[in-house]
Amino acid sequence: MIEEIRNQARQLLENGEVDVVIGYAEGSDPSRTTPIFVRKAEDVEKLIYDPRCINSLPIYLNKRHEYTRKGWKKSAIIGKGCDIRAIVQLIAENQLKRDEVYILGVPCEGVVSHPDKWDGSLHDGNRASKCTGCDVMTPHETDFFPGEKPEVDRSKPYEVTSPKVANLMELELDKRFAFWRTDFDRCFKCYACREVCPHCSCNVCITDETTPSWIDPAAHKKGIFSWHLTRAMHLVGRCTGCGECTRACPMDIQVDLFNQRMKEVVQESYSYKPGYSLEDKHPLITYKVDDREDFIK
Amino acid sequence: MKTATLNKSDLGKCIDLLVQADLRVIAPRLQPRLDEDGPDAIDVLTFTEVDSGEGHQVGEGLLPLNGVKEFLFAKHEPLFAYEKRGKKIEIIPVHHEYPQTVIIGVRPCDAASIASLESVFSDANAGFEDPFFTERRSRTTFITYSCTAPDASCFCTSVNLSPDSAKGSDLHLTEIGDGRLHVEVISKAGEAVAKQLQDLLEGEGDQAAREKAGAEVSEKLTRIRDSAPIMDWLMDTANFDDEMWQRLGEKCIGCGACTFACPTCHCFDIVDENKGSKGYRVKFWDSCQFDHFTLHASGHNPRDWQYKRYRNRFNCKFKIYPEKFETPGCVGCGRCIRACPVNLDITEYMAEVAHKAANPSAMKADQDSE
Repeated sequence: MIEEIRNQARQLLENGEVDVVIGYAEGSDPSRTTPIFVRKAEDVEKLIYDPRCINSLPIYLNKRHEYTRKGWKKSAIIGKGCDIRAIVQLIAENQLKRDEVYILGVPCEGVVSHPDKWDGSLHDGNRASKCTGCDVMTPHETDFFPGEKPEVDRSKPYEVTSPKVANLMELELDKRFAFWRTDFDRCFKCYACREVCPHCSCNVCITDETTPSWIDPAAHKKGIFSWHLTRAMHLVGRCTGCGECTRACPMDIQVDLFNQRMKEVVQESYSYKPGYSLEDKHPLITYKVDDREDFIK
Repeated sequence: MKTATLNKSDLGKCIDLLVQADLRVIAPRLQPRLDEDGPDAIDVLTFTEVDSGEGHQVGEGLLPLNGVKEFLFAKHEPLFAYEKRGKKIEIIPVHHEYPQTVIIGVRPCDAASIASLESVFSDANAGFEDPFFTERRSRTTFITYSCTAPDASCFCTSVNLSPDSAKGSDLHLTEIGDGRLHVEVISKAGEAVAKQLQDLLEGEGDQAAREKAGAEVSEKLTRIRDSAPIMDWLMDTANFDDEMWQRLGEKCIGCGACTFACPTCHCFDIVDENKGSKGYRVKFWDSCQFDHFTLHASGHNPRDWQYKRYRNRFNCKFKIYPEKFETPGCVGCGRCIRACPVNLDITEYMAEVAHKAANPSAMKADQDSE
């Protein structure tokens, strides 16, 4: 599979169709992989793909990370289905044009939930919960795919896959709040959750605004809660569920639990799954006459 | 130096004794989990204030995620309160508590980082002192614990430390087999703590066994770099624009994870948290990896690309710190490597610099041919 991807990447670079191929390479220790920007055809041999390739590479297509794109008019990117959802969502939000990106889709069997859990193979004990019931293991939007793409039914509604969301929803409100108070106590506001998010596109994040200061920048309870809840709200109807925010957290706070719950709410309220259509706008920025209004009391 | 032995199984009792002596005790603990959290959940080990020895993880696991930095240099703290009354602004002091504290189960790299923080926050020669830091520092005792199982990200031996180093320690523990610990009293503060624990300490330690154990663990480290040539290479201003910085650093996404997780990173910001006519002036952690860290009011940013921000971080650790403070800027704990979401690896920079320093002409030729 990877040989076909490498060949295609080589051709794209040799023909000058793309300026760069964004993919995965071996990392600095055996359990990790790392993003790589391949600009020379001879370097395509460095490209790899396996269940350790957990990064969501579309962050490098996000305009906010423009520094990586200086000189890149068109980028090819290796994408597993969930990352391609992010690319599709970026296009739907006018953050990227379809012809600025060449999508090299990979068949995916799921990825490991955390590098520390990699033991040489992927199994039920270490497969990321986002991979459960995934309908884009054969990716939906590609310019190149190694092999035939089978027909896949992607009409099923979104379902939360982390058992922890259900566990939390079962707790009494005060206990749920106590859980987050304990977990957020570890947060030091490094904003890794923001920086890895393919959908955080604002030039100036609301938390960095100073006149006025909307969110206290200090990592006290007020500053932490207002940051995380704002982050979650800003991604409602947009989060494509790559889970990078949780993976990137150096304090191992599962911040994507909020996003998963919000995705469920959006599914229930608007029957909408982000990342599947290049044209559809997400429900919070559009209005339809048959939108739900029974919550207005 | 006084030595003794201690049963490893008595560590919980040690914590109990310290708590009973009205000390605030900080120890590594696993964070509670909900049942059946699924495959995404992982064990979260942090330094936490404890009220008993139950469930402690002293000597277990490798490194707590948070390190000891936050117990000396708080994540956030109010400097003072203020209130506007008419045209006058009244400054109201804020009361801070500095309880007598013992942190137990500190790994040698974290203990070594304390001197680095001290050099920034309490420079006796320059007459500069951050009272919040020095008040906490003077009331904190560190019981350190030699490493037994370094992981793939550890590189303390590459920065002149070792898994059994007692640098920065007050009371140092090393496993010497058969469930026994070799105890070394390093400082007066350590002696005071040893007195609290005297019922559990026995006879004399076994220096030979301690040294043997330390050497064996050092052998387990796999990430070995030569840090000796780095400072000189960085001092050569021509290398400030070396091609390496962009090549290695362009994947950096500018999250601050490495700096916040780092035991020696110490940058902070100060803001006024205002509510109506009163508020607090608050100091809190900041990061040189943020794009607005060096953003000028004019809109100019001297570090306008992310790789320049990481270049600054590397220079801070291996040039600025040793040059200015004569203390190490990096203690090799590996937290920045473990925390980095894109596998940007400080030891790859170290290896690259060592290679360039050793082959200056070859490198120049390589660049020219490109």
